[in-house]
Amino acid sequence: MTTATAPLVRPKASRDDLIMRGGLVLFAAVLLVIVALPLWSLLSKSFQDHNGNFIGFANYLRYVQTPALFQSFWNSLFIAVITTSIVVPLAFVYAYALTRSCMRFKALFQGLALIPILAPSLLPALSLIYLFGNQGLLKGWLFGQPVYGPVGIIAAQVFYCFPHALMILVTALSMADQRLYESADALGASRLRKFLTVTLPGAKYGLISTSFVIFTLVITDFGIAKVVGGRFNVLATDIYKQVIGQQNFEMGAVVGVILLVPALLSFAVDRIVARRQVAQLSARAVPFEPKPRRARDLALTIFCLVIGLMIFAVFAVAVWASFITFWPYNLTLTLKNYEFGNFDPLGWGVYWNSLLMASATAVFGTALVFLGAYLVEKSNRFGIGRGFVHLLAMIPLAVPGLVLGLSYIFFFNMKGNPLNVLYGTMAILVVNTVAHFYTVSHLTAMTALKQLDAEFEAVSASLKVPVWRTFFRVTVPICLPAILDVAIYLFVNAMTTVSAVIFLYSSETKLAALAIVNMDESGFTAGAAGMATVIAVTSAAVKLAQLGLSRLLSRTQAWRKR
Amino acid sequence: MGVAGDPPYLSIRRLTKRFGSFTALDDVSLDVFAREFVVFLGPSGCGKTTLLRAIAGLDIQTSGSIHQGGRDVSMLPPAERDFGIVFQSYALFPNLSVTDNVGYGLVSRGASKAEIKARVSELLALVGLPDSGAKYPSQLSGGQQQRVALARALAISPGLLLLDEPLSALDARVRQHLRQELKELQRKLGITTIMVTHDQEEALALADRIVVMNHGVIDQVGSPTEIYRKPASPFVADFVGTMNFLKGAVSEAGMVAIGGRRFRVDGLNGMAPGTAALVCIRPEDVKTRNVEPGTENALEVEVRSLEFLGSFARARLVPSDGAELDLVADFSINLLRDLRVEPGIRLPVALPPDRLRAFPQ
Ligand SMILES: Nc1ncnc2c1ncn2[C@@H]1O[C@H](COP(=O)(O)OP(=O)(O)O)[C@@H](O)[C@H]1O
Ligand SMILES: [Mg+2]
Repeated sequence: MTTATAPLVRPKASRDDLIMRGGLVLFAAVLLVIVALPLWSLLSKSFQDHNGNFIGFANYLRYVQTPALFQSFWNSLFIAVITTSIVVPLAFVYAYALTRSCMRFKALFQGLALIPILAPSLLPALSLIYLFGNQGLLKGWLFGQPVYGPVGIIAAQVFYCFPHALMILVTALSMADQRLYESADALGASRLRKFLTVTLPGAKYGLISTSFVIFTLVITDFGIAKVVGGRFNVLATDIYKQVIGQQNFEMGAVVGVILLVPALLSFAVDRIVARRQVAQLSARAVPFEPKPRRARDLALTIFCLVIGLMIFAVFAVAVWASFITFWPYNLTLTLKNYEFGNFDPLGWGVYWNSLLMASATAVFGTALVFLGAYLVEKSNRFGIGRGFVHLLAMIPLAVPGLVLGLSYIFFFNMKGNPLNVLYGTMAILVVNTVAHFYTVSHLTAMTALKQLDAEFEAVSASLKVPVWRTFFRVTVPICLPAILDVAIYLFVNAMTTVSAVIFLYSSETKLAALAIVNMDESGFTAGAAGMATVIAVTSAAVKLAQLGLSRLLSRTQAWRKR
Repeated sequence: MGVAGDPPYLSIRRLTKRFGSFTALDDVSLDVFAREFVVFLGPSGCGKTTLLRAIAGLDIQTSGSIHQGGRDVSMLPPAERDFGIVFQSYALFPNLSVTDNVGYGLVSRGASKAEIKARVSELLALVGLPDSGAKYPSQLSGGQQQRVALARALAISPGLLLLDEPLSALDARVRQHLRQELKELQRKLGITTIMVTHDQEEALALADRIVVMNHGVIDQVGSPTEIYRKPASPFVADFVGTMNFLKGAVSEAGMVAIGGRRFRVDGLNGMAPGTAALVCIRPEDVKTRNVEPGTENALEVEVRSLEFLGSFARARLVPSDGAELDLVADFSINLLRDLRVEPGIRLPVALPPDRLRAFPQ
């Protein structure tokens, strides 16, 4: 045995190690500035009075004691619970059809269901107004009930949230082990029993995770409640009213902190679930192969057809309405709703702003995210630095856009903060959007990096090749598809996001999605629908370009062929 | 190969590596001489890779020192050490052609394009892939990929070549073939080489010296013949080759009682009478020809079963008088024919004293 006194070896850091550690420190600083410090200033604001004095929980107390405000809390909870309990079962059946049946046209159905992701959440809300609003085509179907209010919010949320739920559940359901079903068959289990004892438990974590994600999505979404909420107040619209309407920043901060709670909870549950899920599918599992069963496949096809067509119809109504002269009295087609100059001082300028903002977010965000993930994943030792940066990178997932946007107001407006030159510029919109969508991008990059041979860096070091050379020559080219994924994800989200940037734009930097809110507010619903259509078309075009580009990559890069 | 008396090229002293509370290497010391082919052999999880990575500086030891070529490299990062390495996965860069993979380490040393090209062709010829330069790793077979990885490691003319299970991902036939090539290449280049393997046959075929490891410590260091003929512990005896283990007790100087019989054992290593002993003999050392009434350590056995293994057959033997002394013996096909051995027959065998080794139990 070694004696306890054997001197410990203190490894000397190589030049590469030093570069990467320096990078991690820099990254920690960047993420502190764009994520942690703003949140901190929000939190402290909620404990201050107008003049910045610390007043403990007084604001919170006032919040709870003001019925008009506290009512929104219950309203939000109500909307979120109802929407979640509608969306999750529907998405589960749809996902089940896509993964466990021999239904035909699966790709088509999957594509249909994902349409809502391309447009801002405002789009389904606009469609509902066209269908069931004061001038709605199908107004009678609601028996005189107004669509403005909980009914409209829930209906629009269901459409908006469906693809998000579907994506998680499809992933959960595709991780099935054929062997479990074979042993159930061998034991003579009935179909119902197999479903209850094998399928459901297998998808349990996916279902839990989905429920929390949808719950959070609904509670934190701003656009839908704004457009179709009428006088039904929810937390998300309250923040906006407190801050923009009444300039009551402290109360806005309180609502922001309250909004953080469900998001944090959902985040925690998701982490726990993710940890359990890993152990579930062993490397030796045999992928599940569905067998055809006519009755089931037919029933599921009909189900998917109904849901898919409804999603398409809701999308199509807004698009159609944007070309209509005067809804619903003069249904002749026109392009005048696309003369945005009539509805907004910037006209098409808001769209070019959006394109610029989304492109900058995609370019800088992707570079930042990938480099950060690389440093976290591939640095030697320095566990503290890596862990800290990873932790910071996970925070944005738990922070609703509205809360992040509000935090930015507080932090970048602070007296004496040298960064307040950014306030009101395009740059702050880009920084905010990168921060807002950081986590998912970070995780995508991490997943891609983890799939690389862990010894690339070791081989390079043995060959005395500097780490940055291997990064550019090997790591980046291999990860190109994932890098593209991240860039597109950031671009599409930057095009459609409303919640965070609504606090941060100036009259010159107004974005297309924000113009939708303004136009709708001013009664230019057709213009709003037109702008939503333009955004959706742009997102779709970018997605198609991505598809083409990845095809091109796998065709022109001989080494990708297996 | 190094001669005793030369200073060792690589000198490892009191190396300990801990992962948290788990000790993966426990006070390991070892010398490797210039131009030697040393193989770390041991079961999976015994710390071979950990030791190799410590030598490379990839996972630096918790305590202890490593000197290479007279230089203290104990604390140095891999980039400041002098070695080439081939991993079990090969870690070839999939997006680079074979030429670019092999030349990867040359580019950053400021060599000219022409020099690099010449060196790469030389290396590809050396590993027997002169025409594969334009291909990508995924277009090569496992064996070819292994050669490219080797060429890439050799490109920078390292003083030390480290190989972590370089052949284990290949199928048996390719493995045997590459084994020969690897050995020839190492001889030709005269490069000091350390290879890790859990395959004892591979170790015996390739090594100048074998380092047998178990649970983070070195059990024995020696030439293949030494390791095979004179295993230093029951673990080594069992891990390398096939071995009969017979339980007995030392009865008097040089004698061990097993199953009611007394055997003379040369390799008793001074064990005192009364000590419980584990006596070992290799199956091929069980003597069957010319066993006469006076032959030492003779006994009559019955052949229980015969397992045909190509050039020889493995027989299970039990003493005819029913004593507890089960033996496995290898009989050449010649011998089977000459003595008409088949299951059920009885024949005299002897356990030559100079082939018997005993360990305290
Ligand atoms: N990074 C690590 N962290 C914790 N334990 C490790 C690590 N690397 C290796 N070990 C443990 O050290 C022991 C020796 O591992 P290794 O050297 O890889 O064995 P092998 O002889 O098969 O190459 C194993 O029990 C392994 O689980
Ligand atoms: Mg190993």
